[in-house]
Amino acid sequence: MPAKELANPCVDCGDAEFVVDVRSRRLCKPCFERYVSLKVLRRIENYRRPKSVPKGQPYKLLLPLSFGLSSSVMLHAVNAQLERQLSKPYPMVGFEVHVLVIEPSSISPSSASAESRFDLLQKTFPRHSYKMLPFHSIYEYEPTIQDIMTQFAGEEFVDDASLSHKERLDAFRASIATATSKADVDQVLLNRLIVAYAKELNCDAILWGDSDSRLAAKTLANVAKGRGSALTWQVSDGKSPSGFEFNFPLRDLFQAELHSYANLIPELMAIIVPDEPPSDNTLTKNLSIDELMMRYVQTHGEKYPGVMANVTRTANKLQPAAVSAKARRCAFCDAFMGDSDEKSEFCYACARSRPDLAC
Amino acid sequence: MPPSLCANCQTTRAVIIRPKNRQKLCKTCFLTIFETEVHETITSSSLFHRSERVAIGASGGKDSTVLASVLKTLNERYDYGLQLCLLSIDEGIKGYRDDSLETVKRNAVQYDMPLEIVGYGELYGWTMDQVVAQVGKKGNCTYCGVFRRQALDRGAARLGIKHVVTGHNADDVAETVMMNLLRGDLPRLSRGTSIVTDSGASEIKRSKPLKYAYEKEIVLYAHHKKLDYFSTECIYSPEAFRGSARTLIKDLEKIRPSSILDIVKSGEDMALLVPPEVNGGTKKPAAAAVAEDDTPGGCGSQNGRSSGGEMAELEKKLAEDETAASRETEIQLPAAAPKKKTKNPDKSRTPKQVKVQSMGKCERCGYISSQKICKACSLLEGLNKNRPKTAIEVGVGMEDEESSSTLMRQMEQVQLTSG
Repeated sequence: MPAKELANPCVDCGDAEFVVDVRSRRLCKPCFERYVSLKVLRRIENYRRPKSVPKGQPYKLLLPLSFGLSSSVMLHAVNAQLERQLSKPYPMVGFEVHVLVIEPSSISPSSASAESRFDLLQKTFPRHSYKMLPFHSIYEYEPTIQDIMTQFAGEEFVDDASLSHKERLDAFRASIATATSKADVDQVLLNRLIVAYAKELNCDAILWGDSDSRLAAKTLANVAKGRGSALTWQVSDGKSPSGFEFNFPLRDLFQAELHSYANLIPELMAIIVPDEPPSDNTLTKNLSIDELMMRYVQTHGEKYPGVMANVTRTANKLQPAAVSAKARRCAFCDAFMGDSDEKSEFCYACARSRPDLAC
Repeated sequence: MPPSLCANCQTTRAVIIRPKNRQKLCKTCFLTIFETEVHETITSSSLFHRSERVAIGASGGKDSTVLASVLKTLNERYDYGLQLCLLSIDEGIKGYRDDSLETVKRNAVQYDMPLEIVGYGELYGWTMDQVVAQVGKKGNCTYCGVFRRQALDRGAARLGIKHVVTGHNADDVAETVMMNLLRGDLPRLSRGTSIVTDSGASEIKRSKPLKYAYEKEIVLYAHHKKLDYFSTECIYSPEAFRGSARTLIKDLEKIRPSSILDIVKSGEDMALLVPPEVNGGTKKPAAAAVAEDDTPGGCGSQNGRSSGGEMAELEKKLAEDETAASRETEIQLPAAAPKKKTKNPDKSRTPKQVKVQSMGKCERCGYISSQKICKACSLLEGLNKNRPKTAIEVGVGMEDEESSSTLMRQMEQVQLTSG
């Protein structure tokens, strides 16, 4: 005789009431956590055991964290895995995690300062090393960026070296005309800062916290911005032109699933800054392409989550083009450039975001 | 506000803002620039050779009319030495094709080009009106698409011509890229953007010289050149068929007009990244299976568009795949992950290789096909099987439809009066 009758048992263990409905399967909390963590761990399988050369060294992984839902959930899942490894009688730790936060208030003035959140983060997951950098520290980590920015922005823009780094970056960002170009340029600069920091730390790989839904939106947006050839490292796991392994461990998880996960874990909720709901009264033409695609994926994702997931999977099947070591790279976004791009220092897509060409 | 001058010649008043880059131009400069850009597309991809005979797939719509006009102009201006002619398909759709064919006939006189019309009726024994009466309005675009592809080839063969140009524009190509991404269709992603689709299997090469021309600019060109074209959409293409991709492209164009070209550029770049085993083993975007394979897009104006129904179907299939996959991992949990990785690519590879190898000719009509019987013949078989019954069914079907539309009208009236 069963000990107790469950109205809606978890389909995996059958021992507890279900709490979430995941892709038509009702799971209890522990089983759902296992589900999420398996999906994440499958993606970082390569770092399960320490490096063979130099022997026994753990992999150094950089985890950029935005205090958003996805990157926070990823840190939680990765942290849980490390704890599990360490709790074994003969612990074998395959990797160590370095968390990098780019101070949100230095990216968008409307964001609150993240100091207290940053403290809380370190207390919640004390096992890792942490660093918070302002956006304008890109001038320190990427000294060449000053010249590139001046060239990129064209004649209209005059870089005033007497200003503070923050003011100079603000002036540069203000010179970019449209919402799409602004978002694109910010993304490129953030990427560069993160990669430069990873280099300084001598990391082996970067774990990006993009969920499946985000990756689908990113795929479509990259294609719409002429960055189709960058999909192999912007969306797929693999080596980026900078030589770093880029990993997207959340690629098999929908945003809704990450929401359910975070909702079950109170300490995570305290860290996450919720996304601002998209305002309905923005005209389409004032959106950036990235926003448009995120909306597209979200609205269609409700009805057709599988179709959206399939977009990411399709992009992931593309193979990086074989490039020689001498292949030219875009001075701004670092992407490989084809032979046809004449003498310009900037790739096709970056040229689109330049102020004088903005249209 | 003083009228602004043309950004190109600086002398005449600008009357056109170019949709492509918002440049202000006068009428003459716009027409010249448009033509020159098509010329550049043609020369940079060495599309034609001297004294080549080229058939223009002409529907009477804006794209093919502009294509015919521009090609005639360029052929004379740059002395391509081409022999141009018009090739039209008569699907047999009353109230649509018969009217647009009249336009094509006038075009033939205006441009002084010979015209060949190939009818579904004579080729297949079925007009589209008859097909629709048999299969209904849903799904008839498949028939039309399969039939058209062969009909164009057969028409060209009848004229002894080996090159057919079609009026696909940049919007169409961008739409196809987005649609194939949403569909997860890598093989088509790899060849959808190439300007020429020819194959070893078919003698007839297809190309799209307007590949980089914006739909809006084509309309502007037709308007300012006062071209005679037919602007009604196919009566069998219901609104619901306008797919996601189309809306998305229109929104993107509002945000950043260049994005249509940017998508085409991305599409071309991505085509090179499609793994060779997916696109048929050749390094260049493959076209081997084109003749059969390119069909579900339906007719030209519908190319790449998809209905919501198709999306729902794909969703269902993907969900089924996923549940199947999750069942699989559960059974062999410990070693599942690495094993699956090696297993999966093989699975997707095998059928594709078989497909390419077995490219042959249809047993019935001799058209290139990967199967024993080509798609058109198998569709025809289905149609013909039911033919005797059809006569009766059609009658009933028509009545049904009429009565239901009357009912609908009555309902509307009820709503109107109550409102």
